Amino acid sequence: MRRAHLLGLGFLSPALAIILMLFLIPVLLTVMFSFTNMSTATGISGGAYEINAASLRKLSDAGAQESFVETLGKEAFVVDDAGITAAAAAYGEQFANEVGSQMLGERFDSRRDLERAFRKLKSRPRSTRDIKKAADLFKRSVLNVRFETAGGLLDAVTGNGIEMTPDQQELLTKTIYTGWTWTSDNFALMAQIPYVWRVAGNTLMYVVLTLAASVGLGLFLAITTFYLPSGTATTFRAIWFFPRILPNVIFVLMWKWLAWDTGFLSSLLGNFGVPPRNWMLDTGANAWVFIVLINGIVGASLGMILFGSAIKSIPQSMLHASEVDGASRWQQIRYIILPQLRWPIMFICAYSTLSLLTSFEYILLSTDGGPGGATEVWSLMAFHTALDNYAGNLQYGLGAAMALMLVIVGILASLVYLRIFNFNDLVAKPRIEQ
Amino acid sequence: MRISIENFTKSFGDTTVIEDMSLEIGDGEMLALLGPSGCGKSTTLFAICGIHRMNAGRLLFGDADVTEVSSQKRNVGVVFQNYALYPHMNVYENIAFPLKVRKESRAEVDRKVQEIADLVHIGELLQRRPVQLSGGQQQRVALARALIRKPDILLLDEPLANLDAKLRLEMRSEIRRIQLATGITAVLVTHDQVEAMSMCDRIAIMDKGRIVQLSTPKDMYENPSSAFVAGFLGNPPIAFLEGTVADGGFRLANSRVTLPVPSGIELPGDGAPIRFGVRPEFFQPGNPLKVSGKVSFVEIQGREELYDVTLENGAVLRSIQAQSAGFRLGEDVSWGIAQDKVLAFGPDGNRL
Repeated sequence: MRRAHLLGLGFLSPALAIILMLFLIPVLLTVMFSFTNMSTATGISGGAYEINAASLRKLSDAGAQESFVETLGKEAFVVDDAGITAAAAAYGEQFANEVGSQMLGERFDSRRDLERAFRKLKSRPRSTRDIKKAADLFKRSVLNVRFETAGGLLDAVTGNGIEMTPDQQELLTKTIYTGWTWTSDNFALMAQIPYVWRVAGNTLMYVVLTLAASVGLGLFLAITTFYLPSGTATTFRAIWFFPRILPNVIFVLMWKWLAWDTGFLSSLLGNFGVPPRNWMLDTGANAWVFIVLINGIVGASLGMILFGSAIKSIPQSMLHASEVDGASRWQQIRYIILPQLRWPIMFICAYSTLSLLTSFEYILLSTDGGPGGATEVWSLMAFHTALDNYAGNLQYGLGAAMALMLVIVGILASLVYLRIFNFNDLVAKPRIEQ
Repeated sequence: MRISIENFTKSFGDTTVIEDMSLEIGDGEMLALLGPSGCGKSTTLFAICGIHRMNAGRLLFGDADVTEVSSQKRNVGVVFQNYALYPHMNVYENIAFPLKVRKESRAEVDRKVQEIADLVHIGELLQRRPVQLSGGQQQRVALARALIRKPDILLLDEPLANLDAKLRLEMRSEIRRIQLATGITAVLVTHDQVEAMSMCDRIAIMDKGRIVQLSTPKDMYENPSSAFVAGFLGNPPIAFLEGTVADGGFRLANSRVTLPVPSGIELPGDGAPIRFGVRPEFFQPGNPLKVSGKVSFVEIQGREELYDVTLENGAVLRSIQAQSAGFRLGEDVSWGIAQDKVLAFGPDGNRL
């Protein structure tokens, strides 16, 4: 490789590093997480095996036979070497030997059965209390015991005299594992939850309405400022650019002040007898109006700049020509200006669709998806599911699967856009002579 | 339709471009506004079509005062220097645009577009986009668009400036043909005297916001009112000799040579500085009033040849002669001036 090539690679490396760190690695991690069932409950490191009331419930939910679940949950009394050794220490060798010789390996479902068997022995302890205590030495249970490996658990269960088919073994270890596992269930789950479909609808509405508002307002501002004297136009553009350079939190805070039940709107309308209320979160429709306005006004500034410069690049003589051709202002806008803004409008639509799909900061700050999920959009849902769940169980795996959907939609949309905009044409050498 | 501009004044900010200008253009006439760049000719044109508002004065189309009428309502067709075709419409839509904004019926538009396209010979190009057209074709489309709604007046702003030399020649006669065919009153803005002279009935020469002379091409060429006009018309241009009045004759500056003054010229007193203008075709070897000099420039143009002759005092005279005269650079010659064709100008540049 020539030195010049190395130099080029050197200049490129910061960009490559940024793409790697901020795009490729996060996307790969998202893909990875989306195929797990990670959550607060499972943790992100390994887990353990433990049979308890909750895991038994899970087991029967997962379709295990009732008798099997019952057996697992029951205490059992098993005459084994460990019990005999303990009995020898507590009640003497004689009793222990007798138990060992007559009952080794026997299994009893309840303490009473074992007690009854003890009473038949000659060297049994004299008092009923001692017999009960001796029986307790043989109590064997896998309930509420943590096992680090599946093998340990299975050995313990079998050791208790519970017979399991291979299917039952697999079901048991799979169901009661407390750590995360690989799974593709997240995607099926997403399709099944009705709320997810509602959020998908919300997202579509959010993108379409916000896009319409920002492009419409951007066009309106670009055209009106074009016809204003330049000094006035610059002032107006600067004012309309404010929302974009204002910190998001402050911008949304101002909207909240406007909409609070003690805020500007309520105070103003209070004079006309309208009872105060939170105008932003009062109803779903109200929340949507604010979401679209907040995002639309921020988006409009970009459109205004882009459309404004595009209008300025239309030769003055073309506008003059349309005037002497008899076109009114409106016809001039309709037939001369707008058709020549086709590309900038398409560009803004394409660009904004992608950024709107993934951006939720203004919604998070203003309504946080409320009221009652009315303004929850896909990216916000992914955020809520994975990182900010009200119930407290953060479902990283499901959230990642939701985010992955956005990545896929984004990549597909980009490919479509590149085709529409004919990327090869865009990067072709400029043709100065028309 | 007759156009009357009365006491027209136009200023941009503090700069007054045109001051108190009056001009009358007859019905069906084609008039050229000719002048160097910055003389206000385009400003005048834009004032006539209403793109610029007049600061003072009146503008009449026929008997109607249109000073305050918007450009949309003036019914004026304009051909712009860069044609200003709408790039997103095809030729048909471009031409039909003035009718479209008036919401004329489809059939009517079709008929008119076809008619005007045939007039300007672009009938087979209607489905093309402007970028697919040559300069001359774009020019024809612009003309058709300007003419389609039968405007009262046609304004042409440097219509040939963007064309190559051959097309310019062709379009010159085309525009004149179409103007005559439609009988429309037309105003042509140009800085090219050949265009103005070859296309127009009358020429208004402008300088620094004023009309210096208004006349027919032939009269203006033969009887320029000032040295500026004489210098502007004619190619190769007129040559000037500086000198003073001496004993009823013209004494060349820095020289003892005295030339007789043509009859009918009122000379100022002795010693007053005056200038003689001699057009190249009136400085020929065969003429009687000889002056001597050295050939300092030769240009062979095929049909004719151009010579510059530097006189002893450093002044330069130009001559245009038929082919094969065969003079060489550096040759000493003694050629004659046609005495009765000499134009004399006073110290202020005005004709004597």
